[in-house]
This record gives sequence, C-alpha cells and structure tokens, in this order.
Amino acid sequence: MPRSMFERYGGFLGVSRIVSAFYDRVLDSDLLAPYFETVDMRRLIDHQTKFMVQLFGGPATYSNEQLRQVHAHLAITPEAYGEMMALFRATLEEAAIDPADVAQLVADLAARRPHIVAGAA
Amino acid sequence: MMDLARFNALLLESVGVGLAVLEPDTLTVRFANRRFQEWFGSVIGRSLAELVPAIDDDARGRLTAGGSVALQHEVKPARRAIALGLQLSCAEQGDTAVVIVEAQNVSKLRELEYMVESYAQMVEKQNRTLRREKERAEKLLLNIMPRTVYEEIKAFGVAAPQRYETATILLLDFVGFTPMAVSREPTALVSELNDIFTAFDRIAEQFGCERIKTAGDAYMAVSGVPEPTPDHAQNIAKAALLFRRYLEKRNQSREPRWLCRIGIGTGPVVGSIVGIQKYVYDIFGPGVNLAARLETLCGPMEILLSDATRRLIAAEFRTAERGLQDLRGFGPTPVFALEAGLEALPFEP
Repeated sequence: MPRSMFERYGGFLGVSRIVSAFYDRVLDSDLLAPYFETVDMRRLIDHQTKFMVQLFGGPATYSNEQLRQVHAHLAITPEAYGEMMALFRATLEEAAIDPADVAQLVADLAARRPHIVAGAA
Repeated sequence: MMDLARFNALLLESVGVGLAVLEPDTLTVRFANRRFQEWFGSVIGRSLAELVPAIDDDARGRLTAGGSVALQHEVKPARRAIALGLQLSCAEQGDTAVVIVEAQNVSKLRELEYMVESYAQMVEKQNRTLRREKERAEKLLLNIMPRTVYEEIKAFGVAAPQRYETATILLLDFVGFTPMAVSREPTALVSELNDIFTAFDRIAEQFGCERIKTAGDAYMAVSGVPEPTPDHAQNIAKAALLFRRYLEKRNQSREPRWLCRIGIGTGPVVGSIVGIQKYVYDIFGPGVNLAARLETLCGPMEILLSDATRRLIAAEFRTAERGLQDLRGFGPTPVFALEAGLEALPFEP
C-alpha cells in the first residue's frame, strides 16, 4: 500500500506545523481575522490539526455534517472562503509539499465547500 | 563600523522578546522596548501592576525579597489575543535597584499543550474501546477453551498438547433426541436445550468440572483437566447426579420430558487445542472412549461407570453392579450404575 501523505509529511508533527503556519497567515488577513476574534485559538488549532490530519490521510475523522454544524453560525462568505483557500495553498507550497499533493489537498478541501460556506448547500 | 552601544540599542528594539525596566517599589515602567510596547501599549510612567492583575501582593512580596516571579498574562493588542509568559526579577543598575521584565509570546506553546492534552484524551478513549473489544474477544475464547490454555496461548502464541495421568470424563446425551428434533419446532427445542446446557454448565463449574464441548444433544465435561485434582472422579459423580436431578425436577412440570444417558470413564487424557483458524479445545484418551461406550449402554436416566471410577468414589457414593459388558475396543468390562451420594449434595441449580 502506498504511504499516505500523513506518513510522508512527518505525521502529526508535520501536519501540526503546517496548521500553525496556516493560521499565522489567516490571522494576518484582514478579511479572515475578524472570524476568529472571539475564538479560543487553542481549541480551534486542535480541531483544525485533527481535520488536517484527516485530509492528509491520517487517523482522525470529521464528517461533513460536523463541518456544517461548526461553520453554520459563522456566516462565511464566498470571498472569505476563497481567501482561505488561497492562503491554504500558499502555506502548503511554502512547506514544500509536492505540487501533486497540493493539488489533491486543495481539491479535497474544495469538495467540502458546500459544508463550510453559508447558504452554499 | 557600528559601535557597541548602537548595536545593543538596535538589538533591544528588534528582538522578539518584550523587555521592560521597572522601579522596584511602584513597579512604574521606566523603559520598555518596542515589542513590549506593542503588547502593552504606552506603558512608560504607568505601574505594570495596574495592567497585569497577576502581579498580586504575594508576587510583590517575593520581588521585594529579591526573588523572581513568573506569571501568565494575556494581551490583545490587535484582533488576536496573545498569551504571554512574564518573568520579573530584581537587578542592580549602578547603585539603584530595578525590576527587569521579560515577556515572551507563549501562544503557540499553549496551543500545543492543549493539543497534546486533547490527543492524550483521544488515545485514552481509543484504549478504552480496545480494552472492551479485547475483553469481549477473551470472553468468547474462554467459551471454547479453559482459562489456563487461553493464558498459555496469550503468552506463547501456541498451547502445547498436555498429557494428564488421570482424569474423569462425563458424556451425556438424550434418549430420542433425533425424533424430537424433527417433530418439533426447532427454535423452541434449541432454546430448551440451551436452557438445560446452561444449567449443566453451572453445575459443572460448581464442582470443579470443565465443559469441553457440546455437539448436538451431546454434552461432554471433564474433571482433572486442565488442572489436575485428586477429586476428579468425585467431582464428575456429583455433577452427574445433579444433572439427573435437575432433569427429574424439570420433567415434573414440563413437556417434553428430557431423559438423559450418562457414561463416565476414568483414565489418562491428552488435552489440546485442535485446528488453526477454527480452533476448539478437545480431549483424547481411553477414558473418553470408555465414557462414550458406557453412555450408549445406558437406559433412560441411567449413569454408568467402569470399575476404575467406582473404586475412586466408593467411599462416598452408592453404586450397583451391572455385570460384565462387552465394550468395543475394551472387551468384557465390569460395569456399574451410579445411584446416589451417601451424603446430600449441596447444590440446587
């Protein structure tokens, strides 16, 4: 069996570094930062890391229904979502993730758009 | 070339650590580098104690005594809250005492700590699930093999066949089960059989016997395997009498009547796991064969045994001679019927 991205990119530690770098970008974005003003970042980073671990093919599971529930009250706009995707891609590229893997991760995350953006489903 | 003082000043302003110098009594900020002011705003001339609630009387006391104090504080200079670790310590500057404050951004550390904790909990939860699964699997395996054999497999991966010098084996089946099985509703029949075998299991366990297997309406139990005991024959005799008494009581109030035949043999036995994928624990030996031959000789509700068993239990049980019987594989063999215990048996299922 081919090794998962989770294994190839350093397991939990590797993913955790990517998430951390990603949120540095997100919180510096004028468009995105307001969404996080009242959020307990420790909890968010924890969930986000597990979610990323899942995207990388590692041991964690979040259902689309869970994604929908946690994002429903945030009224995320298509613009904010687009910005987030751009930052996500930039973070992955900076972390020297293989372009084919970047494409797959971005596509996987894009497939979940209807569960994240308000009124998209 | 840059002179040292200018270099120091530049360094002070550009490091990622927040630095401040306070007056020792009032904790008024006399100097703060750029990072410190980013986090705390314009603090020069204000007391840090006003800004940081964690600087309480206790902390001030320790500082006055010349010690150092470590504190947690959270600031929100922009949209994003930052967790700071503050270290306050006394120092001499020329001949005046000052308090030096170092502030470090520990947000990432807090996030990681939280994540470690959260993962530890996730692992713990998975461990609990695994443990439950393991217990369930163990319980299933203990249904098909004795605990000592299971422990051996668990420790070594295999269980070696074991020879027991002497053990007593009981074999039971029911008179007319086959016609009963075809003439009655199968679920009801199986449920009754299940009832009866469950009662037998309880009795067997009570007397240090081990149920080896059931096959259709046949029930096999042994004493002396896998743990040798000098009382194997007595144990099986007691169990046999109680099996019969249980059926007698049951038959008084219910149809159909279940009539058993019980053969008992004593002799050397080999106990072993048989099979790789679908394994069962089974026993082999002349005692097993003898029990099987005697069982086929039995009339309804009769318990037959050989002379070897009879001699072992003679002091405690009443038996009756059934003469010489020609048993396949054994030749002419003296056979005895077990009638009752000389003392009342303690257990009522």
